[in-house]
Amino acid sequence: MTMRDVYVIGIGITSFTRLEFPLSEIAAYPAMMAMKDAGTREIDHLYVANMGGGRVNHQTGLASAVVDTLSLTPAGAETIENGPASGGSAVKTGYMAVASGLHDVVMVTGAERMREVNNLDATDFVATLTHPIAEHIYGVTLPSLAAMFTRLYMEKYGVTERHLAMVAVKNQNAALLNEFAHLHQKISIEGILDSPEAMTNNPYVAEPLRFFDCCPVSDGGACVILASEEAAGKVGRPLVKLAGVGQATDTHAVHEREDPTDLLAVRRAAAMAFERAGLTPADVDVAELHDAFTILEIVESEECGFFPKGEGHLALERGETALGGKLPINVSGGLKGRGHPVGATGLAQVYEIVHQLRGEAGERQVKDARIGFTCNFGGFGNNVVCLAFTREN
Amino acid sequence: MPRDIYAYKCRKCGHVHYPYRMVCKNCGENEHNEFEPVPLPKEGTLLTFTTLYSLPPDFEVPSLGLAIVALTNGITVTGQHRIDEPETGMAIRGEVEIVRRDGYDEHYGMVFYKA
Ligand SMILES: [Zn+2]
Repeated sequence: MTMRDVYVIGIGITSFTRLEFPLSEIAAYPAMMAMKDAGTREIDHLYVANMGGGRVNHQTGLASAVVDTLSLTPAGAETIENGPASGGSAVKTGYMAVASGLHDVVMVTGAERMREVNNLDATDFVATLTHPIAEHIYGVTLPSLAAMFTRLYMEKYGVTERHLAMVAVKNQNAALLNEFAHLHQKISIEGILDSPEAMTNNPYVAEPLRFFDCCPVSDGGACVILASEEAAGKVGRPLVKLAGVGQATDTHAVHEREDPTDLLAVRRAAAMAFERAGLTPADVDVAELHDAFTILEIVESEECGFFPKGEGHLALERGETALGGKLPINVSGGLKGRGHPVGATGLAQVYEIVHQLRGEAGERQVKDARIGFTCNFGGFGNNVVCLAFTREN
Repeated sequence: MPRDIYAYKCRKCGHVHYPYRMVCKNCGENEHNEFEPVPLPKEGTLLTFTTLYSLPPDFEVPSLGLAIVALTNGITVTGQHRIDEPETGMAIRGEVEIVRRDGYDEHYGMVFYKA
């Protein structure tokens, strides 16, 4: 079957922070920006990525509300829920719609409003994605799964709390250059790890993970518009192609994995995206990885194929993943600095990559970036979407 | 009478699953209920653990020990632990106790102690 090429013609984003707007408006605002960016309002279909509307905001059928508030009716619209990988899944679905020839121009917007409830309730809402009988009843949360995984990684590969703190400092300080990021507070290794106050500033959330190893709970939205080559040709923006998509799943309960230090769904989704794009990890100039916890940036950088297994923390030590390094990762601030409104995160990753490949990222621009990559990590690695992008002209 | 947590043994190939799944991961057996419940052993080895300080709202304790354990039959399970100085690789024994109260519901699960 012949598939059509798919291009990104418009992008938009809100500030990631606490937002006092209805969920549907958090989804619609970046969509308006993206239509302005693309210079078109001719949208054939709308996909809305969201995880918690029904549970946290008591709003279901979100896509119907968003398509109407944007006055895009009677275009088709649906909500896509795939946990914290909802955004990546929605982009992949939009890609399929254009690639197949079903639609020429589709809008993919993602939004979450998690700060409507307190932090503990927000964490518990995300924890409902764990196995109900084998994990959730015990009080298992995403931070606790990440913590148990981190301990194994430390023992097997020599990752230390210092490496985790280095990721936190790199990403949270990168967010200082991103006006839309949630955290605009400069931190240092001294302040979060070495000083006498560090244990107070940076207590354990789930030992060995500390407060600054975890992303904040955020509200926010982000949007991309995807189009066929013909439709993209009518838009006067630098042309970025969505060159490859990959997705893979793993066991629902984390304890069932054969090697508990593997993130096989990341490895498989990344390999699939690279293969479909005709690229290799060495081709990538800039990547946005799903650092909901600092350990995840290190391990995803290995499982995506950028560094050998067990050596991600060494690349971090050498500064290769910082802005100016060989492969800058999360120059947007990542989930750690930009924030993590779950349904919007996958879209925010794509927003950053397109921004970078267009060469419009200002102070945080990765020099000569032509190939970009995203990894959107759902569950604790049980559902992962990876995307590869190329600058075309 | 001591309670048990059950694993599910495929009646076709003998593969043991925990938690329950509807189709055998090993042989693909697809007939409903072709699994035999078998009690999980109570002894094993601590694979990894954490102490969680940021707890779901219905836990009225300051911190909670969580662990993944390899049981003597090779099955791995997640549970709570009540071990003062846990170390990976240490021998543990499990008890089935109430692990969560949510409204009027009491949930039973595996709690691990030093063997
Ligand atoms: Zn079987």
